[in-house]
Amino acid sequence: MVFLTNVANIMAKYWQVFLLQGIGYTLLLSVIAVAGGAFFGSLLALAKRSGLKVLKAAVAVFVEVIRGTPVLLQLYIGVFVFPMIIPKLSSLPYIYSVSIVLILNSSAYVSEIIRSGIEAVDPGQMEAARSLGLTQHTAMLSIVLPQAIKNILPALGNEFITVVKETSLASTFFVGELMTAYLKVKGNTYLTMECLAIVGVLYFALTFILSKLLKSMERRMKARA
Amino acid sequence: MLDIKNIYKNFDGLQVLKGVSTHVEKGEVVVIIGVSGSGKSTLLRCMNLLEEPTFGEVWMEGRLMTPPDPYLHRDVIRASNTYKKLLSEGLDDEAAIRKIKDEDLLKEKHPKAEGAEYASLLKKISEENGIDINLGRQKMGMVFQNFNLFNNKTVLENITLAPIKIGKQRLRDAKKRGENTEKTNDDVIRAANEKAMKLLERIGLQDKAGVYPSTLSGGQRQRVAIIRALAMEPDVMLFDEPTSALDPEMVGEVLDLIRDLVRDGMTSVIVTHEMGFAREVADRVIFMHDGVIAEEGTPEEVFSHPKNPRCRDFLSKVLY
Repeated sequence: MVFLTNVANIMAKYWQVFLLQGIGYTLLLSVIAVAGGAFFGSLLALAKRSGLKVLKAAVAVFVEVIRGTPVLLQLYIGVFVFPMIIPKLSSLPYIYSVSIVLILNSSAYVSEIIRSGIEAVDPGQMEAARSLGLTQHTAMLSIVLPQAIKNILPALGNEFITVVKETSLASTFFVGELMTAYLKVKGNTYLTMECLAIVGVLYFALTFILSKLLKSMERRMKARA
Repeated sequence: MLDIKNIYKNFDGLQVLKGVSTHVEKGEVVVIIGVSGSGKSTLLRCMNLLEEPTFGEVWMEGRLMTPPDPYLHRDVIRASNTYKKLLSEGLDDEAAIRKIKDEDLLKEKHPKAEGAEYASLLKKISEENGIDINLGRQKMGMVFQNFNLFNNKTVLENITLAPIKIGKQRLRDAKKRGENTEKTNDDVIRAANEKAMKLLERIGLQDKAGVYPSTLSGGQRQRVAIIRALAMEPDVMLFDEPTSALDPEMVGEVLDLIRDLVRDGMTSVIVTHEMGFAREVADRVIFMHDGVIAEEGTPEEVFSHPKNPRCRDFLSKVLY
């Protein structure tokens, strides 16, 4: 009973920190990461499918390193290294460096999503298009990619949900997302369990709604095809 | 019309075709038979370069679709450093050429190593005879075992996609060359749609124009795949086991359509396991075994009096 009253009191006083700032920054970081990741991931996937061996190898190394190391480690390195490369960053809040790291991280995963999405399209589709005399380029744009997108979008949605949860690591640098909101409010109230419960419920609600949205989107896509 | 010269095809060290040569005349119907793995599908796929031959040349209507194969041109061999070296070692012309061919001595992957004359001769051949691979393919219709209709396009779009894309491209090229033409992209689209509807009527599927391939039966899909190839007005049709993926009750409708085409004089190369059909439509039957043409002749010769023991063995198993 005391627990619930505490939760209610905390929410009454700090709802802006949790709902506006916390969820706001969490979603902002996730959208930046996945949108940037989709853009750079597409470029990486293109590079990986190109004929240039050096480029392919470089992309492979990048993807393996990103996937083989923890995000937290990447965040630490990014926050220290990026301001050295781009001096302007050192006068800006951490969230800029954090965003860059999340974009790079996400682009590695998204490039794999795109690659496997394209490879999952039956090679016969490409062959049929080429056998009619269409160029590789036209066949890719009109036949393979539209079908690959049906494989890619759901996986991209899942990547978004994963990133929503991963942004919690950015709280190490106090960038203002949900987990940072927890740290702040706990620091003021000393009510650890109550604050954790609130943040937990919010994360769950967020990802639950997102995955439901995704499901209905998938259903609609299937119905059209 | 279609000339296959000494085709070899290796897949990661596995030799699937070991020197196949044949010629398809205009209006001729060639049926290729043989056990699975004998290389008959690979041969067909080499004809329109869906598989790139490791050696050998494919000529379509007098134009070279593959890169020139130095081993097939004596003047090219004679221009090579390897040949000159063999001559200086005392071999005569005939012996040197045979040695080069037998032992695969040309460094064809590194034309520069064989001298400037060799490289420039090869370049000359491809410049004089070469044709863009896509242009060559536009003259060859291909029908696949698994239909390969475009899943993301309606039946009508499946048929009109290539004619529209390529028609527009031709129009652009013509205008770039400064040719005066009244034709517009809309004309190209209208013509392609009319043509597609006519073809659909021919196979009685005009009411399926707007549906997606996934709603069609196997037989319907394959018939649409055939007219999709026909919409490009090809000079030769290649059929790669067109009925092998079909339920038995649908084989007939597909064979009927192919029979129709053949009667209208369509030059065709057909890989099939339907021996009765092969015998009926073929002008010439090729029996492939282990990557080579083991027997070749009229249906009467091959089916009734096979000379090759492998062919006899194969026929005794499939004709019962």
